[in-house]
Amino acid sequence: MAVIETFGLSRHFGKTAAVEDLTLTIEAGEVLGFLGPNGAGKTTTIRMLAGMIAPTKGYAIVAGHRTDRDVEQLHEIIGILTQTPGLYDRLSARRNLEYFASFYPSIELQFQVEKYLKLMGLWERRDSRVGTFSKGMKQRLALARALVHEPKVLFLDEPTAGLDPEAAGEVRHLIRTLREEGRNIFLSTHNLNEAEVVCSRIAVIHTRLLALDTPEQLRRRFFRRQIVVQLEALDARVMEVVKKLSFVQEVRWEGSQLILELSDSERNRPELVKAIVEAGGRVIGVSEKQYPLEDVYLRLIREEKGNES
Amino acid sequence: MSRRRIRSILLKEWALLFTDVNSALIVTLVPLLVVGQGIVYIWLASKFAGGSMLTTQVFQIALQKLVVAIPGVAQLPANEQLLVLLLNQFNFFLLLIPTMTAISVATFSIVEEKLSGSLEALLATPVKTWELLLGKALAGAIPALVMTWISAGVFLLVALGLGWGDLSRFVVTAGWFLTLFLLTPAVAILSFMLGVAGSSRAKEPRGAQNTALIIVLPVLALIGIQITGIVWFTPLLILLLALAIGIADFISLRTAVRLFRRESIVVQWR
Repeated sequence: MAVIETFGLSRHFGKTAAVEDLTLTIEAGEVLGFLGPNGAGKTTTIRMLAGMIAPTKGYAIVAGHRTDRDVEQLHEIIGILTQTPGLYDRLSARRNLEYFASFYPSIELQFQVEKYLKLMGLWERRDSRVGTFSKGMKQRLALARALVHEPKVLFLDEPTAGLDPEAAGEVRHLIRTLREEGRNIFLSTHNLNEAEVVCSRIAVIHTRLLALDTPEQLRRRFFRRQIVVQLEALDARVMEVVKKLSFVQEVRWEGSQLILELSDSERNRPELVKAIVEAGGRVIGVSEKQYPLEDVYLRLIREEKGNES
Repeated sequence: MSRRRIRSILLKEWALLFTDVNSALIVTLVPLLVVGQGIVYIWLASKFAGGSMLTTQVFQIALQKLVVAIPGVAQLPANEQLLVLLLNQFNFFLLLIPTMTAISVATFSIVEEKLSGSLEALLATPVKTWELLLGKALAGAIPALVMTWISAGVFLLVALGLGWGDLSRFVVTAGWFLTLFLLTPAVAILSFMLGVAGSSRAKEPRGAQNTALIIVLPVLALIGIQITGIVWFTPLLILLLALAIGIADFISLRTAVRLFRRESIVVQWR
């Protein structure tokens, strides 16, 4: 079942297009990573999906509500973590959360506030002023605020931006916990590792949607599957034998590693190892070459920029 | 639900207001300064100019209208007639308190939220714009009203202390009460709404206050109109004025809701 659907969603500011013809579907229980450079339209998309700004063209449906028409109902069922935590520094953590929770009619306020302060590890500091919190604590509190009314869809706009690695790790861990609970999450981020660790699918945007798939499928789109055989030492005999194997399409070596493209990388793998061992090679390990998602992302963006110019 | 939301906004605003030294000082010190200044002016005028001020044509016209409104004043000596005339301006002078307080609270409240980013998070909740603005308006107007009433009490006590107690029957009239309990709340709400309107266009508190301070001028004009004898504000006129400002409150709430466009706040307010 689709939780978010967009149909040619576009937003222009004057003559500038912030988002152009965005069409995508996000299924229930999915964590979608929304990647793109600065000014790519990520925040604008989140604001349109959260019913905070109207599209210039097209429309979106979030949990059954048109974002441009059913704004009040939409705001009952979404949670949003904006780029800045936007908390009241002179109020306590509990007071901040109670304030926002009080706008939702159907929740048990005190129970929910306690639940999320505990989940975010802030219960001990519940009566401290937010102004005394670290950036990471503020971000966790802002996340609690976005969740306190149990939203059907959660929008996270760069939740780890500006955090130190430890704090970012804590926030990422919380997002993974939410993913395991089966929450529907739309995560805008710059951080490709974060997207890979947390998200089930990734959308790359640069005003328009460039790609939408699982991290693995995105890699395959640009990079062929390669097998890495780590040898104790590489000798000419092994190389000669490998080159002659009918299922080896391409081979090169880097140090004591053989890097190969096979006709069928799953089925051919045992035969390959057998041939190397018979040729006197001592195999330390066999693995698949992992291209970082960053390479995929950069290729997509460069291609798009090339098209623009 | 609206009542719960408005109450929640109001309590949050007060919690923020009274934990910020600047805002707390504005709410508490401004009224005392206004009262102190007013009393000093009246004392100086009665001490050094005295009844001779009444010989000027402007004051004579005002005095004639005052006598029509409060006939007993005609029996008083000239110096006391002057005092009654000046003391009767004080209820309008007190209107400066809700005006200045409400504008300050409004602009700080909205611009602070704008700068901290909390407004964006707030606008993604089901809270309606009118609930938000009314909650904030009440949070600004109620302390402003309470301080105005306290200031009025302080003024009366000081007037007694200065030996003007005998004249209180010519000052604490129906018009005095109507001004305090009807006109003052209406002016406080209007000031707040103009503060909101100013804030919706301004990028920092000072800009918002400059825009909104235009309401201070009509308040000063009320004093000018009365003391120069153009119009004497009888209880009926004050009632009508309060009614007109009450209607203006309603219109300004609707205007403020319209000006307070969520989209422009999210996109343009940085």
